[in-house]
Amino acid sequence: MTAETLAVGTARTPARPSGLRHLIAPAAIAAALVTLYAWVSTLELDSIERRSLNQAVLVDKTVEHLQMTVAATALVVVIAIPLGIVASRSRNRFVTPLILTAGNLGQAVPCIGLLVLATFVLGVGFQTALVGLVVYAVLPVLRNTMVGVQQIDPALIEAARGMGMTKGQILRRVELKLAVPAILAGLRTALVLTVGVATLGAFVAAGGLGELIINGLKLNRMPVTIVGAVLTACIAFFIDWLGGLAENLLKPRGI
Amino acid sequence: MFDRDPAGVRIELRELTKHYPGQPAPAVDNVSLDIPAGELVVFVGPSGCGKTTTMKMINRLVEPTSGQIRIGGQDVLGLHPDELRRHIGYAIQQVGLFPHLTVGQNVAMVPKLLGWPAAKVAARVEELLELVSLDPGTFRDRYPRQLSGGQQQRVGVARALAADPPVMLMDEPFGATDPITREHLQNEFAKLQKQLRKTIIFVTHDFEEAIRLGDRIAVLRERSHIAQYDTPANILAAPADDYVAGFIGQDATLKRLALLRVEDVPYESPLPDPALPAVAAGATLREALDTMVAHAADRCSTPSGVITYAALCGAVGTAHEQAPEEVTAGDR
Repeated sequence: MTAETLAVGTARTPARPSGLRHLIAPAAIAAALVTLYAWVSTLELDSIERRSLNQAVLVDKTVEHLQMTVAATALVVVIAIPLGIVASRSRNRFVTPLILTAGNLGQAVPCIGLLVLATFVLGVGFQTALVGLVVYAVLPVLRNTMVGVQQIDPALIEAARGMGMTKGQILRRVELKLAVPAILAGLRTALVLTVGVATLGAFVAAGGLGELIINGLKLNRMPVTIVGAVLTACIAFFIDWLGGLAENLLKPRGI
Repeated sequence: MFDRDPAGVRIELRELTKHYPGQPAPAVDNVSLDIPAGELVVFVGPSGCGKTTTMKMINRLVEPTSGQIRIGGQDVLGLHPDELRRHIGYAIQQVGLFPHLTVGQNVAMVPKLLGWPAAKVAARVEELLELVSLDPGTFRDRYPRQLSGGQQQRVGVARALAADPPVMLMDEPFGATDPITREHLQNEFAKLQKQLRKTIIFVTHDFEEAIRLGDRIAVLRERSHIAQYDTPANILAAPADDYVAGFIGQDATLKRLALLRVEDVPYESPLPDPALPAVAAGATLREALDTMVAHAADRCSTPSGVITYAALCGAVGTAHEQAPEEVTAGDR
């Protein structure tokens, strides 16, 4: 009986691990959230803590955080993918280093400093935080788009040209399609980065979970800081998980 | 365009030159060549001799510096390059199948670019896969990486033929396969070409391949200068110079024998002789010679008669002292 069950088990293994692996991340995230909730409910919260740690505020801050992340990433897509394509063209080889340097600079400059500088120009608020986030997250998408397009076998491009496809058709039907996995990987990195960096939005009054972290630190209320930090981390993990699913679903079949 | 007649059109190259900027000498220097309609012409020459560049100027993947190209009498340099290329089949050594598209979608690419209706495209894909001996039901929905090298090359040829272009350019299309698969593909392709009669320019550095497939061979030296342009038999019989002779190698006569079939020489007697070593009908003279040498015989039997060693010598035009006597004697 046992032997039979084992045999059935081994025969099925090829399909199983991948299916289960996809469930590990959400299960871990759920466990972390439940633990956090259980721990916070054991605490005697004072009035200051209660002002932060209630459902309305937590939902509010989480929504703000996600809004910042999604808006920034959308802008990154619009900016970085076209720039990556421009940088990947060999006839633009003089512009490519400029684009890459700008992208590198965006990531090298401390985001907090950038946010402060942006405040002088744009004042405080959502749009300022957005500028900082976009500048910070452009590089991975830009770089991956460029590399994804450049790594395509030149024989494919030659075949496409030899068949009479126009430059636009080659870009849309061949190059971008084949660069999809690389672009998605870059986007996934950018999203996760953005979730983390969006906590800094609190410094320019853009809200988000960073507000909990900063308030907790300022008022010396550890539980508030911890809730903010754990929630941010959980969102980052969750988005990374979604990104992984998207990569699997959207990558062209056949490659 | 020039493909109203899909059975092949004449290609004329006139004083064609390609000079890359910054290079001391042109890559292709003043080439003039006529390729008759419906013939397969092989450009053969060492690596870097400009044969591929010459070929690529015909579909303008390389823009000529000067000169003229006419296909079916029409000046190619006056046409839009993308539009031109849709009417010229193109197959390359690396095949270049799109990995994210199925075999069917790959083959359908050019007809779709030309705006064929979907039903016509689907029927054409079916027809082409059958033409290159791939079962449409099995292969249409597969992705290129699921195919063997030889199967990919077949799809490459099918894709080049897709819109039934009168002209095909092929750059070592069978180069990336193992020798057995290559020979198989070459034989199939030769058969296909007999039936289709496209005007084909075929680039290779493999002289054997050139002999096997070409109606004519252009032996090129550096800068694409034409050392000799003639039929395989004539080049083997009378190489224009040492360069061409060097390209042929030491066994020119054997190669000529390989071009001829046992049916091409006069029979000593019109009946097969079971006492003699036998070769199959349609065998090449090279195979007949092989059989004779292997059995230390001076004649062998084919299903339609007996051929002699002297007849082989006669076929390649070399005198054999006892030949007249032997042939007339007719007995052993």
